[in-house]
Amino acid sequence: MPKHTHLYQLIFSLVLILLAGTLYGQQANGATVSGKISSVSGNAIEGVNVVLVGENKGVVTGKSGYYTISNLAEGIHTLQISYLGFKTITHKIQLNPNQNLVVDFKLEDAPLEMGAVQLNGKSKVRKINEQAYTVTSVSTKELLNSSQNAQQILDRVPSVRVLQEGGLGSDFTFSLNGFKGNQVKFFLNGIPMDNFGSSFNLNNIPVNSIERIDVYNGVVPIWLGTDALGGAVNIITNQKDEYLDVSYSYGSFNTHQASVNGAYTNDETGFTVRGNLNYNYSDNNYDVLVDVEDELGNLQDSNVEIERFHDQYQSASAQIETGFVDKNFADQLLFGVIASEDDSELQTGATMATVFGAVKRESQSIVPSLKYKKRDLFAEGLDVNVNASYSIIKTKNIDTLTGFRYNWYGEKIATGSQTQGEQGEANLLELEDKQFSNQFNLSYLFDEKHSFSLNQAFQYFTRDEFDQVNTDVNQYFLPKKLSKNIIGLSYKYKFNEKWTTTIFGKAYSLNVETSEETGNNIESTEASKISDNNFGYGIATSYFLTPALQVKASFENTFRLPTAEEFFGNGLTVLPNPNLKPEQGKNFNLGASYNFQINNDHQFDVSGTFLYRDANDLIYNIVTVSGPTTTNGNLSKVKALGAQGSFAYRYKEVFNLSANITYQDITDEADLSYSDYLGYQPNLNKGARIPNTPYLFGSLVAGLNFKDVFAEKSRLNFNYYFNFTEEYFLSSERFGRDGKAIIPRQLSHSLEAVYSLENGKYNISVECRNVTDEELYDNFRLQKPGRAFYVKLRYSL
Amino acid sequence: MNKLMMNLGKLIALFTIVFSMIACSSDDDSGSANQGDYALSLAIQGSTGDFTYYTVPFEDVMEGTLSAAGQGIEQPGYYEFVSYDNTIYSLGGLDNDNVVAISQNADGSLNQTGDVSFNQQLEDLVEADNNTLVSVSMSSSSDVLTFRKFNTNSVTVAEEKTVQVSNFTDLVGPSYSGMVIRDDHLFLSYYISDPNTFDTDYTDQAEVAVFSYPELEFEKVITDNRVGPIGGFGVNSGLVEDNSGNIYALSHSNPANGFSQSTKPSGILRIDAGETEFNEDYFFDIESASGGNNTAHLKYLGNGKAFAEMNVVDRDSQERWSDGPLQSAVIDFEEQTVDLIQGVPEHRGNGRKLAALQQGDDVYMCVPEEDGIYVYRMDTESLTATKGAKVEATFVAGFFKF
Repeated sequence: MPKHTHLYQLIFSLVLILLAGTLYGQQANGATVSGKISSVSGNAIEGVNVVLVGENKGVVTGKSGYYTISNLAEGIHTLQISYLGFKTITHKIQLNPNQNLVVDFKLEDAPLEMGAVQLNGKSKVRKINEQAYTVTSVSTKELLNSSQNAQQILDRVPSVRVLQEGGLGSDFTFSLNGFKGNQVKFFLNGIPMDNFGSSFNLNNIPVNSIERIDVYNGVVPIWLGTDALGGAVNIITNQKDEYLDVSYSYGSFNTHQASVNGAYTNDETGFTVRGNLNYNYSDNNYDVLVDVEDELGNLQDSNVEIERFHDQYQSASAQIETGFVDKNFADQLLFGVIASEDDSELQTGATMATVFGAVKRESQSIVPSLKYKKRDLFAEGLDVNVNASYSIIKTKNIDTLTGFRYNWYGEKIATGSQTQGEQGEANLLELEDKQFSNQFNLSYLFDEKHSFSLNQAFQYFTRDEFDQVNTDVNQYFLPKKLSKNIIGLSYKYKFNEKWTTTIFGKAYSLNVETSEETGNNIESTEASKISDNNFGYGIATSYFLTPALQVKASFENTFRLPTAEEFFGNGLTVLPNPNLKPEQGKNFNLGASYNFQINNDHQFDVSGTFLYRDANDLIYNIVTVSGPTTTNGNLSKVKALGAQGSFAYRYKEVFNLSANITYQDITDEADLSYSDYLGYQPNLNKGARIPNTPYLFGSLVAGLNFKDVFAEKSRLNFNYYFNFTEEYFLSSERFGRDGKAIIPRQLSHSLEAVYSLENGKYNISVECRNVTDEELYDNFRLQKPGRAFYVKLRYSL
Repeated sequence: MNKLMMNLGKLIALFTIVFSMIACSSDDDSGSANQGDYALSLAIQGSTGDFTYYTVPFEDVMEGTLSAAGQGIEQPGYYEFVSYDNTIYSLGGLDNDNVVAISQNADGSLNQTGDVSFNQQLEDLVEADNNTLVSVSMSSSSDVLTFRKFNTNSVTVAEEKTVQVSNFTDLVGPSYSGMVIRDDHLFLSYYISDPNTFDTDYTDQAEVAVFSYPELEFEKVITDNRVGPIGGFGVNSGLVEDNSGNIYALSHSNPANGFSQSTKPSGILRIDAGETEFNEDYFFDIESASGGNNTAHLKYLGNGKAFAEMNVVDRDSQERWSDGPLQSAVIDFEEQTVDLIQGVPEHRGNGRKLAALQQGDDVYMCVPEEDGIYVYRMDTESLTATKGAKVEATFVAGFFKF
């Protein structure tokens, strides 16, 4: 059945394509007009509207600036070419029957009529930001010479906090407006990343493989086809057809990061190969301040500076895609595979009081994928996009050293036990997760004003668990299978150039299968199945009050479907709860952004967003008082009110400054709490801020750029990065007085200098992170690295 | 210039909007610290399901509401509390286990001391003499158990002793249920529980391991097949000692406290003062004395009497891990009687170690009711009770008086 399901999904997608084709594809003979649209300086412009006046026909130019309108009657037509920030061109053409007319246009910059504001041709990033959704798009363009990774870039996005437990490769929690874990979904070029494994994630994708990162707060567009509660992050890797980027960085704690990225495309055949190879290594042997206990557990030395000794991290990944681009059967048809592996040593437990000297974790993943993209398939305005992938992830937790434990001096202390490892009972637990996922997008542009799109996202997940050491436990690992299907339909109406609105609906369906223990022993297991269906909906609207001032609002009623683990527990201590419901959330966003220039030299961008979140039925673990077992319940409820503001200023190409601040008041709104001691009782924390979540934070980046320093075609940049997080509580805001566990206020400063030669072909950068050697924590008393230095060399073609 | 002013005007307006959105948070005025001779350790389940414990002093526990709002010593994680000689000891932690001594300052506020940390869970901390406390760590998955001797003044470990579990059982999964140190012996009761499923497949006899004290050398296991295993999950009151040195061993094999089966009647056995074997002539048939009920929670009061939380559902129809429903009672080991205390409603299980305070003839305990938790002061002589203050907590982990 499962294997068939994959096949069924693929066939379903294909049938839809064909169906769409027969519905709209009444291809007839006719004349065609095509051509390329570029700016005066010769750069192709993507996204230009090309319409035939009075004929309800039109297209938008593709990446290389080309447009084609076919199936035209003979005679005189009027072409109108318009794009915000450029002068609109109206051009009459005369067509003979079946003529293929080629007309290229060059668009001139246009000072817009409203106000004295002049808009530049928009970068992709700005276009993403101007969607009606609350989205922040970060371009890596200016960070390519930096030794940062995706995580550090995201940590400077408003509303985002990446809470890292240690150095390179350590576990992290991504929080978006306080929503964490499964509530926020990650995508790589639109493909869900939730099963890519730890060896290919935010931690180890270097900046050079990334073109930009889009962060959707709250409302997620249907084409991402997912069940997110807090929003989604889409990482877009470099999409250029031909390039080469090679970089290597070395830094403190013996950290090496190497990355090779490139693409080759044959213009004639359309054959393309693209990919990246990445390698990361670090000893993570940074100094921490710790208390050291003697063999008996008594405090021996207090607050001593110790070098971490068991925190080595290594990861390697390769992503290769090959296929064809810009052919008549496909704009893009790519087969790809991601292969990755990582090994990490674990230095500490949940707090630094627990020291490990032998615990390790390994993971491997292989993800084959298929991408197909075609504009105007069978009919003009009918675009199709299919992304399918299959991932196999193996994860191993290795805690097999018995008889010893370690202290912070790295000394081995005998425990006398042959059964207990460092984390508890010795184990070598292997998990094998497999996931098939398929995203199918179909969009149809009726005319300038109306467009529809349909998304179907399917995921099928299985997990196998096996413990090589503690083999008794294996009989309790019951198979878990989960499939979810999300169908979204959206309608976009463009009232005019200033106002667009999208409404959408999503249907979520979930099927979970496992075996369940029905009696008191393991022999009495029975297949058990759960199905659940939900419907979500939303609206996103955007209005340009002036070409420079955009106001947007969005609302969504969304669901986050439970995982197999949440439904079924672990077979032992976490018991199943077949009545578990999806987490449900309503979110509302209202934002405004304004940009203007003064004397062409000073460019300002200011934006502010107000957020409201109302999340219900949040899943959490019910801890029991009288027994060792727990279960998951839909008990918690959270309300968030937040605001974020950002500001950017640029003076010519010489100086830039940007800053943002986020304030979020996220409160526990559950009426009841449940325990086996009290049953349902009023929630004592109602109205209090939720614990262990930053509520006030911000960041600032400033840069200075000089041209032609020491050599022609050279550049010298200095950048300064500042991050700030206000103190927050680990536990309740409301209770307790003495010895409250807090995560103190964090301030960190980093400096970077970059020198480029030959217009960016050869680059060298040096970076100093945490310049003031501040004690930094993200989680409770888990210290992060102090001052660190990095050098990066990069060659780019 | 006008354009510039206009743009700057808009900019200022936008910033005003953004910053007016950023509401001011009103900082709670941290008022004065509570004082008082009573102290309650309140466990509160947080918004994300985690527990945090607050030990808060109170002047009066019979009126008003007892709350940890802005008060008390905060301890996030999992903790148990015991008290000896005017000092409360917390055992537990967020990750590692630690022991912290909580004592009263001259002004009635609380003070905490202790800087020890262990990578094993401490099951219990028992008084050996005025200067020494002994802890035990044992887990059903482990092949060793560890005793630690603590110096009560400095809250430091003076000695550690690791014992192979194979000394006293060949079975996997001995789990701790009670410990008493009497003169030159340490008595440790346990039951066998599967480390994965918590199933109890061996319920045919009571077993107590006997160690020499202070050497902590294993001496022998004493067994008795009149009842099943001693004690149960997480309760720690399998063994209680009276004033004259008799040790009572409680067997219930009750699903409510972790047993997946029972093959023997419940009852209380005795190890007489000075002896290290069960007294074959002593048997307290608690079921017949109480009309068919059982208990897992005992607190010795004096004069051969103990405070008990009686489970009032028949053992065979009990729900596993439920611990309840309970009724407070006084039992007499000599007379072999069980007397319910009037005025205390039947209540849900306390689950963990019994959090009760003895003051003369009175026992103070928190009772969970439909509309919250209330303090009850129970007179163990007249067997009557008075309802006291309401308690704001998920459950009460300790009830103490300095």
